[in-house]
Amino acid sequence: MEKSVEKGMEPNQSLELIAAMIYQAKGNFKHNAIHFLLWGWVVLIGNVGMYFLIQQGVKAPYMIWLITLPAAALSAYFGYRQGKQSRVRTHLDTIYMWLWISYGMVIFTLLFFGHTINYQINPVILLFSSVPTFISGITIRFKPLVIGGILFWISSIICFSLSLEIQLLLSAFAIICGYLIPGYLLRAKKDN
Amino acid sequence: MFKDLDPLLHSQLRLGVMSILISVEQAEFTFLKEKTNATAGNLSVQLDKLSEAGYIKIEKSFRGKKPLTSCKITKGGVKAFEEYVNSLKSYIKK
Repeated sequence: MEKSVEKGMEPNQSLELIAAMIYQAKGNFKHNAIHFLLWGWVVLIGNVGMYFLIQQGVKAPYMIWLITLPAAALSAYFGYRQGKQSRVRTHLDTIYMWLWISYGMVIFTLLFFGHTINYQINPVILLFSSVPTFISGITIRFKPLVIGGILFWISSIICFSLSLEIQLLLSAFAIICGYLIPGYLLRAKKDN
Repeated sequence: MFKDLDPLLHSQLRLGVMSILISVEQAEFTFLKEKTNATAGNLSVQLDKLSEAGYIKIEKSFRGKKPLTSCKITKGGVKAFEEYVNSLKSYIKK
């Protein structure tokens, strides 16, 4: 390119160059697969684990959710490391990052104050989860996440009319469809 | 022929850099070099010209011990780029 730096360009050439460069700067979201896999497994273990703890008659089965604390730290560390390593940051990267951080804040708020509403938070968590998952799928044009987001929403509707124990199993199913399957597909895309 | 076109933008490398920077929040020197296929020396000179015109902001820092140069488009740069594109449109319509 440098040879023709000062060479005049036809308007069409200028427009082609602009279009080509903007295309080059498209974001790469595939590295985010790690977050979906991490949270997919953590939440799956949380739901299935709590179900079995209830079955076993354990007094405080919700204590299993403490596993989200190290997961949050790990997720923040991965995000920080990715930010340091990436050589370009697009506007979509920023939207994507804040969308998930604000979702995380909302979920932790729900977990923290869940006792005030007798921990009837499963359907609400599923409902909230549908938004960032769906929006992420749309912004990165990745259908499995779009479908995952819709399944979160449908699961939340069903969840409202179920008992707590069955809610846990439905949440586990929703997290497999919403995070784990899209996460593995996203990672597989990266390897290709 | 193209009198209204901003001469600072009407050059392949500088226009290439501005097109990338308008679509991202910030980009590192090595990223710009790779995407534009420019030499480091030439890219550096052209970035300085854009920076002197107030079209971009260059930030120098360190990643570990390695020096790191990253660039961002400024408000003035966005305005100049938009005007350039509008002028292009009017030429194409003619």
